[in-house]
This record gives sequence, structure tokens and C-alpha cells, in this order.
Amino acid sequence: MFTDKIELKDFEKQGPEYQDLLRRVLAIQADCEIGGPNLYIRDMLPNAPTKLDQLIVARTAAEELDHYRKIAKLAGDMGVDVSYVLSRSNQDRYVEAFRGKIQTWEDYAVFGALIDRVGRFQLEEFIGCTYLPLARLVEDPDMIREEEGHVDFGVNALSEMAAKGGESKERAQNAVDYWYVKGLDMFGNSKSYRSERYMHWGLKRRPNAVARAQYKEEIDTLLTKLGLTIPDPNKGRLYT
Amino acid sequence: MDAAPNTEALDQQFKEFIQAIKKAVGTGLPHLKDDQKVVDQAIADCKEILDVVMDGNVKEWLA
Repeated sequence: MFTDKIELKDFEKQGPEYQDLLRRVLAIQADCEIGGPNLYIRDMLPNAPTKLDQLIVARTAAEELDHYRKIAKLAGDMGVDVSYVLSRSNQDRYVEAFRGKIQTWEDYAVFGALIDRVGRFQLEEFIGCTYLPLARLVEDPDMIREEEGHVDFGVNALSEMAAKGGESKERAQNAVDYWYVKGLDMFGNSKSYRSERYMHWGLKRRPNAVARAQYKEEIDTLLTKLGLTIPDPNKGRLYT
Repeated sequence: MDAAPNTEALDQQFKEFIQAIKKAVGTGLPHLKDDQKVVDQAIADCKEILDVVMDGNVKEWLA
């Protein structure tokens, strides 16, 4: 297990596997940060239910852009240009959950409650990691706190939909059914060799399966509390 | 170690985008109950900036 603490100036002195894994995870993280707004801005900014909601959608997008900026700066300082993710189509995103469009308020709410929560989990992976500029970035309270804010907004909106019952609850459940497995899949393959190597190099804290199980426990508790049905966790999964 | 080309310029451009959106949101929020024109303009400003970012024409931004 690698436990050194690496600063930018020492990055090039590291072995090729360390460098490749760090470059890769930053590119994926940057893609996910910009991938969220690309899913929902075009339809949700003009069509959110109230003007307050419209402004919240814009503010949420601005915070995700800031997360992209911070990750892109980190990667850029290492000589890695991740600006190509800004112009790629949604269909080309690294992570399957970002390869579509969000066109309903129910999907927007559930995306916040479930998928932004995965975002929080992914950022937490880097707390205390061996690459200090990345560890410092996620240990600064802003990034994870903002992600938690997006999750809370989604939970509150979903909670209101579920509490209304009837069609409102049904539409919310449909959105949960869609995003639930996508969230579980975002943690990758449980038997991923790369996941083990990330841990070996101290770039991530938990194996994919452990993080996924912790996430699943959180969202299952939430859905039960809201009176929603927990979808089949195996239906439509790409990774197990 | 050399940074990737345009790292600083893109970082600065994004700071400007983000500040502009947050400024527009901050202008609109206090007027939700008393001035719809201000709110509508704030939303329109956010949309204009976010449309540019979503288009992702990086070369155009940095030209």
C-alpha cells in the first residue's frame, strides 16, 4: 500500500500506473461535473415549476461548473487537458447516467437525490488521498457541501412529490425506478482490478462494492421513509 | 512540469461564467415576490450564459 504524500512537483517522478490512474480519474470526474448540467439545463432552466426553482437550477449548474473548473485546473496543472469534455455530446460521456436528457421535474429531483449523492460519495473517496492537491480540493468544505446542497434540494422536492400521493407520487416513483440502477452502476464493477489499484496507490478509500453498499443503504432508507418502493437492484444493471 | 495549454485562460473564463451566473441569481432571488421583471431578466441572463457554456465552443471563448 502506497502511503507517500505527493505534491504537483513530484507527480512526474511517480510510476506510470500512478500517473495514469490519477489522469484517468480526474478526466472522469471532470466529465461528470460538466455532464450533470448538460443533462438538465436546456429543459429544466426554462421549465422548472416556479421562478425560484429556475434560479435554483441555474445556481446548481453554476456550482457544478465550479467543480468542473477546480478539477480541470488540477488536471491542467499536471499537463492533462480535460477541456475536450466540454464539447462532447452527452452520448459520449464516460458514465452511462450522463448519456441522456432530463426533461421532467421528477427526473431533476431524483437526479439530485440519488445521482448527486453518488457525486458526494465519489468526492469523499479522495479525502486523505496520496495526491495532496486533490485531497486539499475535496477537504475544502465548499465542494462537498455544495454537492450535499444539491442532494438536499432533490430530497425535499422528491419528498413533496411523494407526500402528494396519486399521480405525483407515481411519476416520482417512475423517476426513482429509472435512476436507481443508474446510481448503483456508477460505482463500477465490484471485481474491478482498477478499483484495487486505486486503493493500492492511496487514490481511493473504498472498494467499489463497499461504496455501493453504503450508498444503497442510504438511499433504501430514504426511499422507505418517503413511502416509495425500492426498485429491483438487479434489473437493468450494467455492473454488479 | 508544464501545465496543459490554456489551463489558466480556461480557469479564468470559467470563473467569469460562474460569477456572472451567481450574480444574476443573486439579483433575482430577493425580488421573487415584488418584481417579476427583475426575476425574468435574471433567469434570461443565466440562460444566456449557460447556453454558451453548454455549447462548449472552447476555441471561441479563448480566441
